[in-house]
Amino acid sequence: MASGTGKKKGRKKASRKTASRPARRRRAPARAKRRRRRWTRDHLRLALRIAAALAFVMGVVSGRWLLGLDQTVRERFEGRRFRVPSRVLSAPTILYPGFGAQRFDLKGQLLRRGYREQSGARGTPLEPGRFRWSPSRVRVHLRAFEHPTRSEPARDIVMRISRGRVEEMRELPRGREVGAVLLEPEQVGAFYGSSREQRDLVRLEDVPPYLTGAILAVEDRRFESHVGIDPVRIAGAMVANFRARGITQGGSTLTQQLVKNFFLTPERTLRRKLTEAVMALLVEVRYDKPAILQAYLNEIYLGQRGSTSVHGVGEASRFLFGKRAADLTVAESALIAAIIQSPNRLSPHRNPTVAIERRNLVLQLMWKQERIDSETLARAEAEPLGVADIAVDPGDARYFLDLLRRQLPEVYDSQVLEAEGLRIYSTLDLRLQRAAARALEKGLAELERDFPGVRSEDPADRLQGCVLALRPQTGEILALVGGRDYGLSQFDRCAQARRQTGSVFKPIVYAAALDASAGRPHITLASFIEDEPLEVQTPAGAWRPENFDKQFHGQVPVRAALERSMNVAAARLGQEVGIDQVVAMARRLGVTSKLPRVPSLALGTAELSPLEVARVYATVANGGQRPWPHALEDVVAPDVGTLDRRELRFERTIDPGTAFLTTELLRGVVDRGTARRIRAMGMEGSIAGKTGTTDDERDLWFVGFTPELVTVVWVGFDQPRSVGISSSRAAIPIWVDFVSEAVGKRVRGVFPRPHEVQEFAIDPRSGALAAARCPSRRREYFIAGTEPRDICTATGVRRMGDAHPQRRRGILDWLRGR
Amino acid sequence: MPGTHRLSRFRPTEAILLLALGALLGACAALPSARGRDAIRISELVDQGDPVRRASLRLLVEGLEADAVGADARAKGRYERAIQLDPTNPYAYLTFARFEVERGRATQARAWLDQAHALFDAEGGVPARVEAHLIGLGGAVEAIRGNRLDAARDLERARRLAPTVWGDAYLAAEELL
Repeated sequence: MASGTGKKKGRKKASRKTASRPARRRRAPARAKRRRRRWTRDHLRLALRIAAALAFVMGVVSGRWLLGLDQTVRERFEGRRFRVPSRVLSAPTILYPGFGAQRFDLKGQLLRRGYREQSGARGTPLEPGRFRWSPSRVRVHLRAFEHPTRSEPARDIVMRISRGRVEEMRELPRGREVGAVLLEPEQVGAFYGSSREQRDLVRLEDVPPYLTGAILAVEDRRFESHVGIDPVRIAGAMVANFRARGITQGGSTLTQQLVKNFFLTPERTLRRKLTEAVMALLVEVRYDKPAILQAYLNEIYLGQRGSTSVHGVGEASRFLFGKRAADLTVAESALIAAIIQSPNRLSPHRNPTVAIERRNLVLQLMWKQERIDSETLARAEAEPLGVADIAVDPGDARYFLDLLRRQLPEVYDSQVLEAEGLRIYSTLDLRLQRAAARALEKGLAELERDFPGVRSEDPADRLQGCVLALRPQTGEILALVGGRDYGLSQFDRCAQARRQTGSVFKPIVYAAALDASAGRPHITLASFIEDEPLEVQTPAGAWRPENFDKQFHGQVPVRAALERSMNVAAARLGQEVGIDQVVAMARRLGVTSKLPRVPSLALGTAELSPLEVARVYATVANGGQRPWPHALEDVVAPDVGTLDRRELRFERTIDPGTAFLTTELLRGVVDRGTARRIRAMGMEGSIAGKTGTTDDERDLWFVGFTPELVTVVWVGFDQPRSVGISSSRAAIPIWVDFVSEAVGKRVRGVFPRPHEVQEFAIDPRSGALAAARCPSRRREYFIAGTEPRDICTATGVRRMGDAHPQRRRGILDWLRGR
Repeated sequence: MPGTHRLSRFRPTEAILLLALGALLGACAALPSARGRDAIRISELVDQGDPVRRASLRLLVEGLEADAVGADARAKGRYERAIQLDPTNPYAYLTFARFEVERGRATQARAWLDQAHALFDAEGGVPARVEAHLIGLGGAVEAIRGNRLDAARDLERARRLAPTVWGDAYLAAEELL
């Protein structure tokens, strides 16, 4: 092999040597050409190799990018697409013949729920969510209320009004008389996440076709045919923008808009636009058109309600028209579609003229695209905007919402509440809540005006207060205002503060003394208590209680002792009953806080929360059955049903007789005692209550109840210091202001007298039963068998003792009139 | 006329006696239903009391109607609304007590019965036509708790007071409606 190769080389050399110069000259360009060709070929190969390598790298990179985008799209579409804040709703309002339409602000209640007033002749149809108002006749088409167990159908109700009251209610069209109807709950608040987005999810099949038609007409007419991007639309937008020499028109499809809202930032860069286009293509490849449209309908931003943003057509329907998306009309649908472009600039609340022009433009587009006929177009164009009033602040129920959240089972954590779109039905009566908030603010402002000493420039050191109202029979918390300004301080003075109770505690001592469950009670309502100097030895030294007036009053009737809130009498009673018994009674009535076992406990040195105090008084008001104060009615998950429901819980903890007698004592406090200001302020009917003022007037309380409502008012400073005002002056006006608005100046009902409580005539001077000729007499209540044993006659008091039981029984029967 | 002939054989005093006997037998036959009317039905009351009470009673009627067809949740919702509207309505607690008895919840039923009792007292005492229900439901509560003797005693008392309603020791929603 080696020799052969050597021969070829020898021949080449020989031929070069033998070739002529001109021939060599002719061959030179050909060589150069070959060389160049070789060079080009080599470099081309190299370039191709580099290009291939680059293409490979780019393919890998863009493939990974595409895969990443695809994963992002899938995660969002196949996981939970939306975080829907859970809503808290109030208790429903019940309308009935006799309902005070004026006092209960029926019109305001309708407007706040998004009902719209509609004019028109009497017989003309009225769609759900509308009402017609005249001084003597109100017609309301109540919307359906959806609930897994308490659903109500839509009902067209006409009410005859006379002197501000509903006289009669009939259901149309038949004219059947109805006894009561429910006005659906009002939204109290919601548990928003950091984004503060509010939405009400809709399904495509629940949305009227003209709503989707309107949106497609104005936002993406070729939605059904394009693949995520629409070159025709892009070209059209480019031409329009070129002509306008600026960006006036967008070329984005619905899919691109959805992608932008779901995944991207609003920045206007080429990279973002490219990503948007690619993701839109991916979305279209992976999902069908209805799924994309439904996601869009729920995602699109449609305006602002205060600090929360309105997303999706479901929420926008409620926000703009106070109704479900399913009930939208053509004109309303067109308005929603119209504002998508710029929800705040085109807001029908702010710019009604611009909004109506844009709505009519959408209607025209719908007609041109044959989505509606000309008759529908004409009718819809003639419609006014008809947007509902923006709901005002629902009476600052944020303290209540906090309490509700604390009362919710642990499973409802922030993640669940802020994302799962639960409906949490509460016990809150928003009318009462507003009344309580107003009463507290007005009352405290008046105190600051009348007593400049309590005014403070430091917002954190302002005079504070709380108002809490609950229904004693059920324990439902109807109103709770935990302070003057939630924005400034979220500390709930109703539920979280523990303050000295002062004389508000005394009824517990009297209830312990009246309790007949373990034998003869220590006192009856005819008894006398010694209000003389008292000294009790304690480990801390001698304790000598004093009265507010620094005087002693000798033998005082039990009623007067509590009515005038005598400290020494209460302290003596506490000693007679025993502090352990007082503590036991407090526990039975609902106190859960730590109680100091000291003699001064009888005068209210214990620190309790107003909520605890409300529970104590509710147990008394409820005839000895202790309710469980609660803010929650039930929790409902959309498409699942009721997740949690509170059951009313009761426990009989004191005898009905003891509860009634305690109530009787507290009625005296209002009629004749330290709370008689209530009567002077015009309140009539069955009211019982107790004032409470602690040392140096640091804590000012009034707890009062009617047969249907227990209300606690506390006034004081967060850092305890003297307010220098009596509770009668500070707390009672707030209480009266609130209660008179809640139940009226004339209180309904009476306190139930249990059958074991009997009424006898007694001699008020001696406490003995009064026979016919007893010089003085008044009626008094006793638990059967605890009535006085002595008899007052014309000649004086005869001591009967237990010596003549038969004779005594005969006299008692005679005194009872048997 | 043979019949006339036969009748004519009775003397006037005998005829009067026969008529009286017939009337007595008729009254006896009708007695259970007459006694049945001794037990109250809520629907009879819907026009009584102030507007709040009337509306509350109407909600109870709606609740009992739902209860009678097995719509428990709706019934309970109505009873709760009746109490919400008029917390001093003793019939609301009585009706709720029946609902709880039927579901075997003795403690709740007892609480409602006590409440009803106290409220009836506050309104001047338990009406005679309500007594059978209070006693009977009290007996049913004792039966749930397993106190057979107390249950039997109370149910027997209720049966004696309102035999058509409490004859089977059970108060159906329809019987209170």
